[in-house]
Amino acid sequence: MLKDFQKIGRDLFLSGLNSSHSGNLSVRYGDRIVITRRGSMLGHLEERDLIETGLAKNDSKIILASTEIGVHRAIYKGTSALAVVHAHPVHAIALSLLEDQIIPVDSEGAYLLHKIPVIGAEHTIGSKELENILPGLLSEYKIVMVRGHGSFAVGQMIEEAYQWTSCLEQVCRIICLTRSLHGEMKEKRFEKFTSW
Amino acid sequence: MDLYGWFGKALRVNLSTGVIKEEEIEKTLMMDWLGGRGLGTRMIYREVPAVCNPLGSENKLVFAAGPLTGSNFPGSGRFSVSAKSPLTGTIFDSNAGGTWGVRLKRCGFDMLIIEGAASTPVFLSIKDGAASLEDAGELWGNDVFETNHKIISILGKDVSVACIGPAGENQVKFAAIMNDAHRALGRGGLGAVMGAKKIKAVVVSGNKKVRVAHPEKMDLMVYESDKWIQASPITSKGLPEFGTPVLVNLFNELGVFPSYNFQGSQFANAGKISGEAIAETIYAGRKGCYRCPVQCTRMVKIGASTIPGPEYESLWALGPECGIDDLTVIAEANNLCNQLGLDTISTGVTIGCAMELEERGLLKTGLKFNDAVGLLRAIKQIASREGVGDLLAEGSRRMADSSGFSQYSMQVKGLELPAYDPRGMQGMGLGFATSNRGGCHLSAYMVGPEALGVPKMVDRFSTGGKAGLTITQQNINAAVDSLIICRFINLAVSEEYFARALSAATGVDYRPQDLHRIGERIWTLERLYNLQAGLDSSFDTLPPRLLEEPIAEGPSLGKTVELKPMLAEYYRFRGWDAAGIPTSKKLQELELEEYSC
Ligand code: SF4
Repeated sequence: MLKDFQKIGRDLFLSGLNSSHSGNLSVRYGDRIVITRRGSMLGHLEERDLIETGLAKNDSKIILASTEIGVHRAIYKGTSALAVVHAHPVHAIALSLLEDQIIPVDSEGAYLLHKIPVIGAEHTIGSKELENILPGLLSEYKIVMVRGHGSFAVGQMIEEAYQWTSCLEQVCRIICLTRSLHGEMKEKRFEKFTSW
Repeated sequence: MDLYGWFGKALRVNLSTGVIKEEEIEKTLMMDWLGGRGLGTRMIYREVPAVCNPLGSENKLVFAAGPLTGSNFPGSGRFSVSAKSPLTGTIFDSNAGGTWGVRLKRCGFDMLIIEGAASTPVFLSIKDGAASLEDAGELWGNDVFETNHKIISILGKDVSVACIGPAGENQVKFAAIMNDAHRALGRGGLGAVMGAKKIKAVVVSGNKKVRVAHPEKMDLMVYESDKWIQASPITSKGLPEFGTPVLVNLFNELGVFPSYNFQGSQFANAGKISGEAIAETIYAGRKGCYRCPVQCTRMVKIGASTIPGPEYESLWALGPECGIDDLTVIAEANNLCNQLGLDTISTGVTIGCAMELEERGLLKTGLKFNDAVGLLRAIKQIASREGVGDLLAEGSRRMADSSGFSQYSMQVKGLELPAYDPRGMQGMGLGFATSNRGGCHLSAYMVGPEALGVPKMVDRFSTGGKAGLTITQQNINAAVDSLIICRFINLAVSEEYFARALSAATGVDYRPQDLHRIGERIWTLERLYNLQAGLDSSFDTLPPRLLEEPIAEGPSLGKTVELKPMLAEYYRFRGWDAAGIPTSKKLQELELEEYSC
C-alpha cells in the first residue's frame, strides 16, 4: 500500500496538483481507513505518513490523521468510494472562484467528467459543512471543486481518484487557455453537459 | 495609566508581618515579561536570592495571570506560580487551568507576591481587590478536597481556591498546589513552599472586567483560532474524545513509552490503560478549563463515585512506570495524589525508583513492581512522611543518593522525568537535559515535532537540527507560558495568532518574533538564576541509563540519547560559551546586561 500512496503522492506533487505539504489521500478497508498524516509531504511519503484509524470510530491515531479526515470519512459513509484524493489544482481553483460549475470544453474532459460542480462554504478546511455537502454530490459526480480550496475526487482505487483530479486540472487549463485567446468558440459542446 | 489586558497591579502579602499592600507594576515591565512565567521569573530573579533555602522565609511565591487571562481567547484561563524549587533548587514555574487565574484577574491583580512565613496557619482571601489573612488553624491537616469544600461553604460558590494538602504541610519535596480541587500546579514542590510558609490556601473572587483594547480584533482572533481548533484532529477529535491518554497507544507503538522505571520503552498492557480503554470502560463525561473548547479532562466512574480521571502523564507514572496495568487502581492513585496534594509524576517515578531499588536488593523500601496495594500505601505514606514515605518524600534523587545508587533515579536536576523515553526521541532528550526546571517535557515540548508533526514532523532518531529546534520551542513556549495559554491549544493555533491576540488585548503591537525574543529573555534569565544557584553545565545531563543502556527491543531498538554533540551545538546556538554560560554579547543582544551571573 505504501508504494501506491508514494507513487500517486509523488505524481500529484510533481504535476503541480499540490504544493509541498498540501492535499491528502485515503483508502477504505471495511471499517478502517488509511489516510495520509496531517502535514505530510505527498511527494515524499514514508511509512510513518500512513495513518490507519476507524472509519466511523476514532482511536488514538486520529491525532495524526489529515485535517480532512472528517470529510474523507463522510464521503466513504455516503458513497461507494474506496479511495479519495484531495488536491489543490491551481487552474481549477482559479476557475472555481468565477464559476458555479466547471464544464469541460475538451473531448477527454467532457467524456470523463461531463461537469464538475463547484461548491462554496464558509469553513473550507476540516469543515463540518463539507462533510454534509460533499457525499451527496460525490455519489453523482466523480469529482467536486470546493471554491477557492481544492478538489475532492472518489474512486475504487487511489489511481482512479487521481485520474479525475489530473483530468480536472487539464480541463481547467484548457478552459483558461481558451479564454485567454479571446476568440469565439467554434463548438458549443459544453451546453449538452449543463444538464448532467 | 490607561491599561488594557493588564491591570498593572500586584498584591504583596508579607506573612511574617501580616502587611498586605497593593503595588503598581510598570507598563514596560509587563510589556517585556507579559505575565505568568515571564513576570514570575523576573520577580524571583530580583527578589529571591539564588542561594537561599527554598523552604526558608527568603523564598517567595509569585502567582501571576497573563494579559490574555480573562479574555475570550481559547485556553487562556490559566495562571502560574513561580518560586525557587525545593525539589530542584532551580527557579521554577508551574501553571494550571481551571478558574482560579481568571478570578485572580477579576480581582484586579496581574500578580500576587507572597513573602515571609506565618507563625501559625493562615489562608489568604482576596475578594474584589480587598485582601485579608485569615486563621487556617481549623483547615490545617485537612486534605485538598476538604479544604476546598470548607472554604467554599463559608465564602460561597463564586470563589476559587488554590490550596495545599497534607503533602504541602509536611513539606514533601514534590507537593503540589491544587486549585479548583483537581487542577494541579504539580511540578517542582511549590506546595511545600506554601507549607513552609504556613499558608494553607489562597482564595480569590472578583467581578472586575478585564478590558480588551480592540474587542473586534480579539473577536476575529477568537473566531480564527476556534476555526483551527475545530480543523485539527488533535484538538477537535483526539483530545475531546480520549483526553491526554490519547497518547498512550501512540507512544507505546513508537517504543517511547517507558515502563518499570525506564527499564523498558514499551508496556505490554498499554492497550488496557489507553485513552480508548478509558472511553470504553470507566468514562463518565468530560470537563475543561475556563473558555476552552477542547475540554480534555476525563471524568471517570470508580465504584459509586465519579472523579476526574488521570492525565496521560499521571496515568503513566502511577501505571506502567510502577508496572501497574489496572485502570481503576491508577484512577484511584491519581485521585489520592490530588486529594493529598502530590505531584503525580514525581510521586509515580519516585515510587518506581523505590521499586527497582528494592527488587535489585539495594534499598529496603517494601515496594515491588505491579503492587497496587503498595502503590496506594506509599502515596499515603509520602504525604504524611510516615515510615519509608519520609525518604520517598525527598524525591527520587535524594532517595537513590541515600543508598549510593543515584544512577537508578530517573530525573534531571532533581525533577523526575515524565512519560517519554528520550532514547527514541533525541530532541526530547536534549529538551530534558537543558530544561531550566529540570526533567520537564513542557519546556521544549518536542512531542510536537518528534511525534505529532506540529509544527512539522521531524525524524525522531536524528540528532541533526535538534539543537536549533529545541531552542525555538523552548523560547516560544516560555512566551506562551507567560500569556498564558494552554500547551494543547498551541498544537492547533500558531504564535502568529497569539501575537495578534496579545496586540488586540493590550493595544501594544506585538509580532510573532517579539514573542520569540521575549521567550528567549525569560529562558536566559532563568539560566542566569540557576547558574547563580550553583547549577552549572554539569547538571545539563540525563540519567546514565538513557545515555548508556540501549533500548532492548521494539521500534526504538538499540537507541541511546546522543546528548554530547547536541548539547555542544545547543550552547553555541544559544550564544552561550562552552561551559553553558550566556556570553556578554548575548546578554547585550537581549538587553539583559543588568542581570549577570
Ligand atoms: S485543552 Fe484541556 S488543559 Fe488545556 S485549557 Fe483546554 S481543558 Fe484545560
